[in-house]
Amino acid sequence: MGPENEVHCWKRWIDRKPETGLTWTAAAWDRAKDWISPVADEFAPTITPVLRRLFITLLLFSAGLTLGLAGPWVWWLDREAGMRFAERQWTQNSRVYARPLELYDGLKISLDDMLVELDAAGLRSGDPAQPGRFRQSGQQLDLHLPGFVYGDGPEPAVRLSLSIEQDAVRHLQRISAPGSGLVRVPPAELGALLPLDDNDRTLVALVDFPPLLVAGIQAVEDRSFNHHHGIDPRGMIRAAWTNLRHGQVVQGGSTITQQLVKNLFLSPDRSLVRKINEAIMAISLERRYGKAAILEAYLNEVYLGQDGPRAIHGFGRASEHYFGLPVQALAPEQIALLVGMVRGASWYHPVRNPQRALDRRDRVLDIFLETGLIDLASHGDSTGRPLDVNIQRGQRSQRYGDFLELVARQLRRDYRERDLSGTGLRIHTTLSPSAQRQAERALSQGLSQVERQPGELQGAIILLEPTSGEIRALVGDRQPGRRGFNRALDARRQVGSVIKPFVYLIALAQPERFHLATTLHDEPLSIRVAGQEPWQPRNYDGTSHGQVPLMDALAFSYNQATVALGQELGLSGLFRLLRQLGVEPGSDPHPSAFLGALDLTPLQVAQLYQPLAAEGYSTPLRAINQVTDARGSEIARYPMRMRPIRDREALALLDFALRHAVTEGTARSLSWRLPADIGARGKTGTTNDRRDAWFVGYTQDWLGVVWTGRDDNAPAGISGSATALPVWAELFSGLPVSATGRSWPEGIEWYWIDWPSPLLASEDCSNARALPFVADSQPGLYSPCMDARTESAARRAWWRRP
Amino acid sequence: MARIHLSLVPICSLLLVACATQPPAPVEDRSPVEQARASEPEPEAARGLQVFPLRNPAVDELITAAEQAERDGDLDRAAMLLERAIRIEPRDPELLQNMAEVRLAQGDWEQAEANASRSFDVGPRVGELCQRNWRTMALARERTGRHEEAHRARERMQDCRVEPPPRF
Repeated sequence: MGPENEVHCWKRWIDRKPETGLTWTAAAWDRAKDWISPVADEFAPTITPVLRRLFITLLLFSAGLTLGLAGPWVWWLDREAGMRFAERQWTQNSRVYARPLELYDGLKISLDDMLVELDAAGLRSGDPAQPGRFRQSGQQLDLHLPGFVYGDGPEPAVRLSLSIEQDAVRHLQRISAPGSGLVRVPPAELGALLPLDDNDRTLVALVDFPPLLVAGIQAVEDRSFNHHHGIDPRGMIRAAWTNLRHGQVVQGGSTITQQLVKNLFLSPDRSLVRKINEAIMAISLERRYGKAAILEAYLNEVYLGQDGPRAIHGFGRASEHYFGLPVQALAPEQIALLVGMVRGASWYHPVRNPQRALDRRDRVLDIFLETGLIDLASHGDSTGRPLDVNIQRGQRSQRYGDFLELVARQLRRDYRERDLSGTGLRIHTTLSPSAQRQAERALSQGLSQVERQPGELQGAIILLEPTSGEIRALVGDRQPGRRGFNRALDARRQVGSVIKPFVYLIALAQPERFHLATTLHDEPLSIRVAGQEPWQPRNYDGTSHGQVPLMDALAFSYNQATVALGQELGLSGLFRLLRQLGVEPGSDPHPSAFLGALDLTPLQVAQLYQPLAAEGYSTPLRAINQVTDARGSEIARYPMRMRPIRDREALALLDFALRHAVTEGTARSLSWRLPADIGARGKTGTTNDRRDAWFVGYTQDWLGVVWTGRDDNAPAGISGSATALPVWAELFSGLPVSATGRSWPEGIEWYWIDWPSPLLASEDCSNARALPFVADSQPGLYSPCMDARTESAARRAWWRRP
Repeated sequence: MARIHLSLVPICSLLLVACATQPPAPVEDRSPVEQARASEPEPEAARGLQVFPLRNPAVDELITAAEQAERDGDLDRAAMLLERAIRIEPRDPELLQNMAEVRLAQGDWEQAEANASRSFDVGPRVGELCQRNWRTMALARERTGRHEEAHRARERMQDCRVEPPPRF
């Protein structure tokens, strides 16, 4: 070869330069060497000294360039690694929790509901020696509740046994150590709120990881983790040798620190540059931080698969995702599966590639055995077990999606969006998973039993504890978990007769004018409306009932009597009352509002009835109890607050009338629809052309609102008593009841009335019926049925029997 | 918080004895309005002279813990524990009154009054608890400048010592 060739080489050299430019990287250097070396070695003797000198100069120049750039580069990488590790703030989603179930002797709960609660809380059937497991035998339950950080402090894991007899908890006993007779089941995780990014994590402190996981990950991924300084040259050589023998990459030589660096800071491409950067940053991290900090970060960062579009990072979340258990509760074979998945979360996925995952798991168990982490017996046990994954998909947030929407709205009212996302808030809510399940079932079953054609009707349910205003269940669609239009919050529908109690409340709040026996007139009437046709309300059954006692007019939902009463009281009073109760009725005052020609959402209706169900103490409806940060420190609390309503006596009378509606009025079918008398009060509502059907009813323990109708608001042939009431009955027949009687306000007195006349009677009168009255508002006239000779007695002093 | 516990028991029992020894009058002696007077419906009559009803031990535990927190000066924690208890027994008058007193100590006059009022409504309306109810309401009303109402509460408190309001 002659100079021609040299020139050619030279030209190639020149040609290459722009390509590499100043970003002279190790990879380029690598490539350059490939052709420099033949030039230098083979062709050197034929190169003229001038060219040779030029070449050496160039070589030295490029080496200097490399070193000159590498120095700052290393310095920069070192600084970056340190800074970014220190400042890393993993976004954690804000988690939403149900209310924790309080267990104590005497708690009313059915076995079915108990199992629903345990399942929702993430407990699995199994050996209760492990946390997160329970064993059921008949009525007997042995539980191992995992620990949980509550808003008022952490509670450790606890083993206990109890039995459920006659729908109540009995013989509650702690097994591990004696202690309080009150135990909380860790709350069900309902889902994540406002996911900020595509990652999902549950951060766990190093000390809280099971020791087998901490030791096992080192045994499998990086045995010399405790001794190396970020990189492990011997491990690299071993890996390189193995890979060379197999002709492919079978073993990674990366240390845990390198893997962490790769996960945290670097792109996933495989290049030598990245390898070098990784090594430099790994050494840098080791220099700056302790092994514990690095290992903790690694265990929380390592990629372990996907949950739909969201990446699962760390063993904490992976444990919840694959097994529905906190990481502390994992069994050895479960730890082995997850440790094995570090090598390739998708390649060893237990559902998509079960055999591969099983082989990998057993291989990891072998390593555990070889390194003495588990003994032979445990190894035998574990390898014999199936994979037993129980994937908790994002379904949870879907399952409780309707309720979560309410939670999100209440939070957004009080916080800015960016304060909520990504900071790992813990939101403790009021939802009861068992009541929610019951409500979902009641709506879907109830509707399918009453509709004309399958799937025609839709509905919504809101269930709450009346005195605290805490919402226990919320259903916005007959198909549980379907996302979309949330009817419980957003369906504004005519409320019909459900509004009537508030017309009567205004009347009863004037005891000098009205009481429950006051005679109303249910007669045809025509009301002039400015600029419109006169309005002529008619009754549901098409007939007028003449003179009726006020209580019957409400209980039997007579339209004409109600409108006549309303006209006497004034429409503005009704609107004012609704506003006082926290509901905006709109600004179109037409007398048809007395019959419920108002569009309200089920949530608003629930708010209206709350003070009535709570014996005169109003409170805003709440879905949230407390918000804490990821460590359990309180950020905000939503305490129970109540306000006594001034007219508690009037509310008590109204309550009595709504009891009358259930025992004799439009809701009397409840008596046979419910398995027992639970002391229910309620009101039906049906709108024009049978488009909407409502039932609102309450007991001492619960207030439930049911709406049903068609989404297109077309006539649906439904009615409050035939459509909504059965759904309500289905719901309430499954709810625990602690049947205590209500207490009547101090200002209430009871008198015998010659029903239905507004006349005082004695107990012996044939039509006598005991009614409550606001003190001194009872009728002044006596029924002829009373003995005339008592008149003389009136002059004598009388005494009051205690 | 000063609570009259034992001193009232003899007074109350004396009063009750006094009631019981009064001779029953013949029915015919009642005025018509008294003849028309009815008793509260049966299930609701459970409320009565039993000032300290048998309580759920789990709730007792929370009350004890709340009292401890109160002594430690941690009123927030006391309120939180009482809330937990109220969630279990929403109609326990003793619990509601304890909550009212914690709210009073926190200077939350509105909630002090509301809880005391509710405690009275669901409570025995006589005896020591009744006095605590009205004392709390009186204090809360004084602190919010409603002196007239506070005065009425103090008057009503005096009635807690005598027999319960007339009821058949």
